[in-house]
Amino acid sequence: MNRKALTRTESILAVLLVVAIIAGAVGWTQPGQRIVETVTSTVTVGGSAQTITTTRVVTSTVTVERPISPGAIKIAVVSDIGGRGDLSFNDMAFKGGDEAEKDLGVQMVELISKTEADYVPNLETAARDPDVKLIVGVGFLLSEALLEVAAKYPDKNFAGIDTFTQALAVQKTGKPLPNMLDIVYEEHKGSAMVGALGCLLAAHYNELGGNYPYIGGVFGIEIPVLWKFEIGYKWGCDWGLKWYEQRFGKRAPLIGEDGRYGSGPNWRDGLYCPQAGQCWYKGRVLWTYTGTFSDITKGYAAAKSMYEQQAIAVYNIAGPLGLGINQAVQEIATEKRLTSGPPYWIGVDANQDWINPGFVIASMMKRVDRGVYYAALLTVIGKFKEVVADTNGVLVLGIGTKVGNLAMEGISVSTLADLDEFIKMGVDAEKLTGKKVLPMSPEEIRQKVTEMRQNLPSWIWDALTELESKIRSGQAQVPMVLTKEEVDRWRELLG
Amino acid sequence: MLQQNLSRKIRKTLKKLAESMLAVAVGLVGGAALMAVYGYDFVKAYRALFLGAFGDFSGFLETLAFATPLIMTGLTFAIGMRSGLFNIGAEGQMYMGAIGAVFVGGMLNLPPIIHLIFATVFGMLAGAIWSLPAALLKISRGVHEVVSTIMLNWIAFWLVTYLITYHVADPARAERAVPAQETARYLVIGASLTTVFILVIAFSLIAYFLLWRTTLGYELRVVGHNQEAARYAGINISKTMMTSFFLGGLAAGLAGVSQVLGRPPHWTVFATMGNLINIGFEGIGVALVGRNHPIGIIFASIFYGGLLHGGRFMEFEAGVASEIVRAINGIIILALAIPAALDLVKKIFPRKNRGETG
Repeated sequence: MNRKALTRTESILAVLLVVAIIAGAVGWTQPGQRIVETVTSTVTVGGSAQTITTTRVVTSTVTVERPISPGAIKIAVVSDIGGRGDLSFNDMAFKGGDEAEKDLGVQMVELISKTEADYVPNLETAARDPDVKLIVGVGFLLSEALLEVAAKYPDKNFAGIDTFTQALAVQKTGKPLPNMLDIVYEEHKGSAMVGALGCLLAAHYNELGGNYPYIGGVFGIEIPVLWKFEIGYKWGCDWGLKWYEQRFGKRAPLIGEDGRYGSGPNWRDGLYCPQAGQCWYKGRVLWTYTGTFSDITKGYAAAKSMYEQQAIAVYNIAGPLGLGINQAVQEIATEKRLTSGPPYWIGVDANQDWINPGFVIASMMKRVDRGVYYAALLTVIGKFKEVVADTNGVLVLGIGTKVGNLAMEGISVSTLADLDEFIKMGVDAEKLTGKKVLPMSPEEIRQKVTEMRQNLPSWIWDALTELESKIRSGQAQVPMVLTKEEVDRWRELLG
Repeated sequence: MLQQNLSRKIRKTLKKLAESMLAVAVGLVGGAALMAVYGYDFVKAYRALFLGAFGDFSGFLETLAFATPLIMTGLTFAIGMRSGLFNIGAEGQMYMGAIGAVFVGGMLNLPPIIHLIFATVFGMLAGAIWSLPAALLKISRGVHEVVSTIMLNWIAFWLVTYLITYHVADPARAERAVPAQETARYLVIGASLTTVFILVIAFSLIAYFLLWRTTLGYELRVVGHNQEAARYAGINISKTMMTSFFLGGLAAGLAGVSQVLGRPPHWTVFATMGNLINIGFEGIGVALVGRNHPIGIIFASIFYGGLLHGGRFMEFEAGVASEIVRAINGIIILALAIPAALDLVKKIFPRKNRGETG
C-alpha cells in the first residue's frame, strides 16, 4: 500500500514536471542570452554627437535628388541573441532604425534572433521581401550568417555592425562582396578620450588633497581586439597629464610627479624617458585581463584591488564585468557614505552613466545607432555599393571619419544629451520586460549625473574638447595597436 | 479475430488523430485569443506562420533543419517512456554529443569520410556514456532517473561550458569552440538543412524496428508496461534499463552532433551554448505530441520546427512581437501535449485506484 501511494505521488509529480518543463522550455533561454550579450558588448565601443549637423545637410540634398515616398523602402534590422531590451547594441541599432524612419522616410522591420540558429533564416526572411533593400545584422556574431546570405542575394544591400564578413569573404573567395558593408569603430580613439579624462580627474582630486596615483582598466579575454582599448586608454592618460603640464606650467600633483612608478637609468622625476626628449607617464594605469567576458565576480575582484591601490576610476572593457566594478565602487560608497565619486568607473559601448548615477564619470560610446542610420542613408541615396567598392566593404566610424566629404562618425564620450536617450531606452526596457532597470527615477538620475559633472572644473572638459579636435584634425595620433609586437612596444613605454 | 483486431487498431489510431486535431484547434484558438488581446491581426499572422514554414521549398527545408535535433531528443524521451523510465536527460546528453563532435570534428585531422563517421560516432557515444551514470544509479541504488538526469544535465552544462572556454575554444574567436573542419561536415541540401537529416530519419526507423520487431524491443516495452510482470516473466530488468538509457543517449548524442557537424553556417558550439540550450527539453514536448512513437515524433518535430521557423514570419509580416510569438508557440505545444499527458495520468490512476481499493 505504502509503496503504491508513493508511486502515485511520484507519477503526479512526474506529470506536473512534464508540463512545467515544456512551459519552461518555451520561455527559458535567459542564461544563453545574457552571456552572449556580454561578448558582443565587449568587443564593441563608440559614438558621435558631432555628426548631427552634417547628416542633416546630406538628408536635405537627398530629398532634392530623389524624392522618397514614405514606406517605399524597407530596411530590416536583425538582432543578435541579446534582442530588444539589452540597453546596448541591439537597442541602439533599433534606435538608429527609428531615426532613419523619421529622417529618411524608410520603414524599419525588426527580427529578433532567439538562438544562433536564427541568424541565417532571419536574414534570409528579410532578404526575400522584395521591398526590403537593406538588411542590417547587429553584432559580430552574425558575420558568418551575413556572408552566406549576402552572397545569395546580390541585389540586396547588407550591413553588419562590428562584423568581419568581408575578411571572411576574402578568405573564402579571394575578393570582398560587392553588396556587404562591415561597420566597425575606432575604439582606440574613444579609449584615449576616457584615459585622458581619468588621469585629469586624478590630477583634480589630488589638487584638492586627494591621494589618487592611478587609474584602472578591467579587460576581458586577451584577444587582439582589446589591445586597441588598452593602449588607447594608456596613451590618453599620458596625453592628459602632458596637457596638464602645459596648461598649468607644473606637473599634475601626485599622479604626475611621484617617484613610485619606477626608477632606473631611463627614469627622470617619475617619467620614463627611453630617448632624450621623449618622456612618458609610465605606469599610471593599473590593468588586468580577467580572462572572461561573463564572470562578474572576476570584474569585482580586479576592480576592488585597483580601488584599494587608490585608483580614482576604473574603465570597464569587459561588458557585464562592469557590474562587478560597480559593486566594488558601491561597497566603498556605502562604507564611506558617499553620494558621488570618487571613486568612479567608466562605462563602455553604450551610455552606462545611469547604472550608478554619480559614480560613473562617463562612458566611451560606440554609436551603433549611427552605423544603422548611415547604412540606411547610403541605401536611400543609392551610394551603398559605391561606398562598398571604395572602402573594400569596411566602413570605419570614429572621430573625424569621413566618407567622401561627408562626416560619418561613431565614437564619442557620453554627454548629458545622450543620457536622456538612454534613460528613455531604460524606461522602454522596463515596459518590455516588466523588470526594474533604472536604479532611480529618470529625474533623479539626470539630476545626480548633472551635479557630478558640474562639480568638476571646466578645464577637464576643455581638455577633452581639445583632444577631440586634435584627433579630428590629425594633430593627435592615437596609436591603433593590432599586433603583439606593437602592444609590447607600447607597454614598454606606458606600462 | 484478426479483422476485429485490425479495425480496433484503426479506430484507436483515428481516435488519437482526432484528439491531436482537436488539440491543434484548441492551441490555435488560444494563440489567436492572445493575439487578439494584444491587438494583432491573427489571421494574417497565422497565414504568415504556415506559409513561411511550409509554403515554399526553401522555407520547408529550414523547418526540417529546426526539426532535425528535436526528432532525436524526442526519441530519447520516448524510448525512456516505452521502457517505463522518465528519462529527461536528453539535454545534458545532447551537450555531450555536441562537444564530442567538436573534439573529433574540430580538433583532429582525418581523411574526409572517415572524419565525418568518426566524429559522428564519437559524439553519439559521448551522449550515450553520459546517460550511464543515471542508469547505474537507478539500477544499483534505486535513484529516480528524474532526479539524476536533471542533475547530470547541469553537470554537463557547466562541464561543456568549461571545455569550450578553456580547451576547445577557437583561438581567434573567444565566443565559440573550434568549428568542425570541412572534412567532418554533412553536405548542405539547401537552406540550413544537411544530410544529417537522413541519418536522423534512419535512426528513427531503426529505433522503431528495434522497439516493435525485435525481442529486445519487446522486453523493453514489457518492462515499460508492467515491471513486476516482466520480472516474473524472467526479463532482466537491469539489462533493459541499461539498453533504454544507452539507446536514448545515442539519440541525444546525435542531436548534439547534428548541431555541430550538420548545421551551417557556424558548424560549432557557442560558449553560451545558445545554439543547443533547450533542444533536449523541447524533445519532451515533441515526444508527447508524437505519442512516444518514433514515426509520430518525426511528424511532431516537423510541426514544432515549423513553429520555430514560421514564428519569424509572424514577427516580420504581421509585426507580432517576438515574445508573443514564443507565447503562442507555447500555447500550441501545451495544448498538443495535454492529450498525451492525460493518457499518462489515466494510465497511472486506474492502477493506483485498483491498488488502493484492493
